[in-house]
Amino acid sequence: MSRRDFLLRAGMGLGALSMGGFADAQTASPLAARVPHFAPKVKRVVHFFLNGGPSHLDTFDPKPMLAKHAGKPLPGEYLRTERKTGAAFPSPFRFEKYGRSGLEISELFAKTAAHADDIAVIRSMYAQVPNHEPSLMLMNCGDSVQARPSFGAWTLYGLGSENQNLPGFVAMCPGGMPVKDSENWQAGFLPGAFQGTFVDPQNREVEKLIENIRSPHASAEIQRRQLGLLRELNAAHRSARGDDPQFEARIQSFELAFRMQIEASDAFDISREPESIRAMYGDHVHGRQTLMARRLLERGVRVVQLWHGAGQPWDHHENIDANIRKHSGEIDGPIAALMADLKQRGMFEDTLILWGGEFGRTPTVELGDAGKSKLGRDHNHYGFSVWLAGGGVKGGTVLGATDEFGFRAVEKRASVHDLHATMLHLLGFDHERLTYRHAGRDFRLTDVSGDVMTDILT
Amino acid sequence: MSKWNPTINIALAMLLGTSVQARTWTSTDGPKTFEAELKAYDPATGEFTVTLPDGTAMKFNQEKLSAADITFLKEQGKQPGASAAVPHAPDFATQIRPILSTYCFACHGPDEAKRKADLRLDTRAGAIARNEDGEAAVVPGNVASSTMLARLTTSDKDERMPPKAKPGPNAAEQALLRQWIADGAPYTEHWAFVAPRRPANPAVKDTAWAHSDLDRHVLASLEARGLKPQAEAAREALIRRVSLDLTGIPPTLVEIDAFVADRAADAYERVVDRLLASPRYGERLATPWLDAARYADSHGFQQDDERSMWRWRDWVIEAYNADMPFDRFTLLQTAGDLLPDASPETILATGFHRNHRISAEGGIDAEEFRLESVFDRAETTATVWLGLTMNCARCHDHKYDPILQKDFYRFAAYFDSIDESGIRSSARSVAPVVRLPRSANAERTTALAAAVTAAENELATLKSATPPTAAAMLAAAQSSLTAAKKARDAYAREVTEVMVLKDRAKPRETYVLERGQYGHRGERVEAGTPGFLPPLPADAPANRLALARWLVDPANPLTARVQVNRMWEMLFGTGLVVTLENFGGQAEPPSNAALLDWLAVEFREQGWSTKRLLRTIVTSATYRQSAAAPAELIARDPANRLLARGPRFCMTPEMIRDQTLAASGLLVERLGGPAIRPYEPASSWDGGEGSGNLNNYTPATDDGLWRRGVYVIWKRTQPPPSMTTFDAPSREFCSVRRLRTNTPLQALAMFNDVTTSVAARMLAVRIMGEAATPEERLILAMRHVVARRPDANELRILTAGLKRRLARYATDPTAAKTVLAVGNPPPPPTFPPAELAAYAQTCALILNLDEALTRE
Repeated sequence: MSRRDFLLRAGMGLGALSMGGFADAQTASPLAARVPHFAPKVKRVVHFFLNGGPSHLDTFDPKPMLAKHAGKPLPGEYLRTERKTGAAFPSPFRFEKYGRSGLEISELFAKTAAHADDIAVIRSMYAQVPNHEPSLMLMNCGDSVQARPSFGAWTLYGLGSENQNLPGFVAMCPGGMPVKDSENWQAGFLPGAFQGTFVDPQNREVEKLIENIRSPHASAEIQRRQLGLLRELNAAHRSARGDDPQFEARIQSFELAFRMQIEASDAFDISREPESIRAMYGDHVHGRQTLMARRLLERGVRVVQLWHGAGQPWDHHENIDANIRKHSGEIDGPIAALMADLKQRGMFEDTLILWGGEFGRTPTVELGDAGKSKLGRDHNHYGFSVWLAGGGVKGGTVLGATDEFGFRAVEKRASVHDLHATMLHLLGFDHERLTYRHAGRDFRLTDVSGDVMTDILT
Repeated sequence: MSKWNPTINIALAMLLGTSVQARTWTSTDGPKTFEAELKAYDPATGEFTVTLPDGTAMKFNQEKLSAADITFLKEQGKQPGASAAVPHAPDFATQIRPILSTYCFACHGPDEAKRKADLRLDTRAGAIARNEDGEAAVVPGNVASSTMLARLTTSDKDERMPPKAKPGPNAAEQALLRQWIADGAPYTEHWAFVAPRRPANPAVKDTAWAHSDLDRHVLASLEARGLKPQAEAAREALIRRVSLDLTGIPPTLVEIDAFVADRAADAYERVVDRLLASPRYGERLATPWLDAARYADSHGFQQDDERSMWRWRDWVIEAYNADMPFDRFTLLQTAGDLLPDASPETILATGFHRNHRISAEGGIDAEEFRLESVFDRAETTATVWLGLTMNCARCHDHKYDPILQKDFYRFAAYFDSIDESGIRSSARSVAPVVRLPRSANAERTTALAAAVTAAENELATLKSATPPTAAAMLAAAQSSLTAAKKARDAYAREVTEVMVLKDRAKPRETYVLERGQYGHRGERVEAGTPGFLPPLPADAPANRLALARWLVDPANPLTARVQVNRMWEMLFGTGLVVTLENFGGQAEPPSNAALLDWLAVEFREQGWSTKRLLRTIVTSATYRQSAAAPAELIARDPANRLLARGPRFCMTPEMIRDQTLAASGLLVERLGGPAIRPYEPASSWDGGEGSGNLNNYTPATDDGLWRRGVYVIWKRTQPPPSMTTFDAPSREFCSVRRLRTNTPLQALAMFNDVTTSVAARMLAVRIMGEAATPEERLILAMRHVVARRPDANELRILTAGLKRRLARYATDPTAAKTVLAVGNPPPPPTFPPAELAAYAQTCALILNLDEALTRE
């Protein structure tokens, strides 16, 4: 090695020749479990994604002032949203105080409210624009403009998975994909193994749940023999080719695939649950997907996203009374069931639950043609709520506040980067140090900002 | 670790520090030792590099060493004299600038808005400027007075740079900075922003190996490291490698045998010329270009309807096959509509920039989406031709490269006057469009013309026949001639609409968007290129044609380098510059800068001919090396950056598909035409309502099942699993580099998907027809897939496996039937099911071999 070469290597850091993880992706199993920066509070994440933009004003952020101004224009300035809105539009739903903490929750989530003392509501979230696509990208990938890896992909990059027989990150959405499709769970510039695996829980057969999961032509026993032969032949070839680590990676991936065929069938098969558990979650698609999520988490899957449905069901531009009642009715029971079930299994303490959408909705009523009220709410990225529950989260707390009408976050404003920083913190990561070198730059989920919300941590 | 040699006693000469020391080293798992020179140690990562007596360098981590050794290493690293190992004159472009860029430029770089303490280190003037206290970050020739080093090395938390305990330069990097300042802190321009010049031919010790200057550049770098190239690959391996690389299809048995038997000196060159002349070449070369052009068969976004741009895709294939010079290729695709001699064909080429996504969502702001298309074109052009991450300058001045935010909008202005609206109604194409005959399918045109000729001949024969033919026969011949003519003319009249570029009569005004956000207009800008690159001619008009000419101007330092680097990556798996998409300051410098420049100059001077460039590379001794290499070499250079062995890496999904079909005899070859629908997993296109008119995926019932991967239908929001599972991008945006991963989903696809299953069965049918004994048949199967005969051991394993399967299926006819029932076509009934099933499973195994999925 020449002196210049030594300097080149030393100057670039000795890792430079590993090409930013490229070689790693080929040689080591990218899903092998890894240790985070510091002791984590949680080991896994489940994210209820109410896609379309759930109204914070009808769920977790009560605004009695709206009733006082009902039907009248808001006194202050109207913030620019996507469409035209009119008078103050009070929530038709009753809020009550729950638990010892007295957390205020609307009747729409009365079952979930049984766990009020475990929930930390962040009422001062804000995003960047009042449109679905960029806001979905921001909430999932930390950037509303450019294509970046998703939260789940970053988590797998940092932690790997605890089950080598299943995908480490699963995104479920009944009836098809949400808006922005697989970009919501993309790996971006991270290795492809970190991307979410999409599963439509409406399918009951495992063949449709995971592509190519069943062999159309061979039994497990025959496949086992095939694998044995494959290993033998690859090994014979390898001995003639030097010690190329890529061989081992290839063999490993075939064997994981084989194990996945067996384990995935089991993990997604909720008929193996006792009747009482199935009844607890409910025999409908949201109950089923939430129960599948618990079975996956239990088996070491790192991140599960539960989307409400194809497209954007929570986009309640009109007749919010009936529509939001329907959609919250579909998930209130399953969410409460999951929380109870995790608790009875001792998994609640090291699981993180996130509830939320890509933004909130306006406190003013949306106007249609000729200024006619649509009895719904427009998009609102200026202020909205999400909540966290589980390990390391201080339950029964409220962080921040929107203004008196709920239009804009005003106290302890929390950006999506702050939320991501907090979630990564609970997983054991300093979000500023969880970086990946791409195109010559170190990227991170939180871009260049983000503060851990210590107020809601135990 | 196998590299520890327990038999040799060691003397380890320390280069770190001023003293040379010898000591016995101990590994964690016992007193294993080796003789070597320590070359580098990085206390931050614990990695250290040594050189063995034979010149091989090895990298270890200190974890492998005993505690005493680690302590020793750390002491060496801490010694103040550690910097003594740094020689004079570190190279600014390749050694100093990367350090400054990594740790400093985010706050002290080109971005004026984010600049801290009014200090910029990306220019010499900025670095040596004195502040109000009379201090300067860099005082040339005076390390002690340079505050930069003090701030980097201080233990005072409030003073230390970078702030907030962010990682900073390690000891070796600090040593380089120190030496550079002592040398007078010279700045040179970033290497990629200076036009390449033909480098001097390096001297090499081994004068027999090199075929060309290309090889001499590689060999010089190997010899400097004490390495030797590998011997030439075996002929079977070589013809498979070059056939896959240039055509995407493996060689036939006849081609292999002919090449192995051909002892003429130019046997290999003739194979290369045959491959370059094959129409398959264009299909092969098109694939990476389609990724770059974000080509797809759907519009994208939520309502992801089908679109028809295949006529443009066929233009690309034809352009490659005709070896259109890259400068003209550039000119036509960027500004084919603005040429003085513009024709429908040159306008068709501009479809490149209409491959972007177009939304149909109601209620959206059309102008906002139109601007997104404009920015997409600017970013795509910057990535594909310039290797610049210009999108970074959309919201603020670039953090690492001298691209101002204003430069981004000036560049985007070239694409701002296109006469388009930004959204679409239900129509398949959105103006501007060009209507073209479907002449892409020349075969069909020829066949129809031939049918007319045949009918004419038939009629003429009947008319001249003696005795006079019956009137009825004449009438029938006349009517079939009429029908043939009608079919030919109807086909000639068929047209396809393709979206293309066309400017408005009155140009639009372009504005900077503050923070990159729509609706926040800043200052108005005129079209132009970034100021740090060579200027446009003074009289250049502010249009795309001027931009295109500037891109391929010999003074442009980037275009030729970026393009040859992409071709290099296609053949060697890794670019000379790893980041094909970024040649800016944050890019790792080229692994062989002289070679990159040589290729770039050669490419341009040889008339921008892609075929000549590829011929130069694939006929080199470098390319022809065997991929098998000693384990030490692979461990030292896992990514083969040094090129001391032949290239070996995973095949693309298109190549895997084409190889599988070719080996089984299923492949149907026909150039061009609308997209095809192969077998895909059951869940493809599961979308529910509102996801556009591509729903309920159904595989083709015609030969579309068996055509090449380049034609597979591409729905952007749900791209073909057979492709994306193997790392193809979604084609929503420009992508010039595919990652290579190894996932279980790939294994599932190879094991279980229908195409591979049918191909395995048809390969079985093929070998059973071609030979009689199990051994002969298995040899043939291996040759069809990996182009070589199995060795005795492999043949033994294969035969034993086959035997077990024969026994298994003989006793289990249902299992045999299952194997034979997957997909179409059904196997010929003449084959005994148990035997065919056994062969089919063995062939499936061969198609799944690591070697089969790897091009080496």
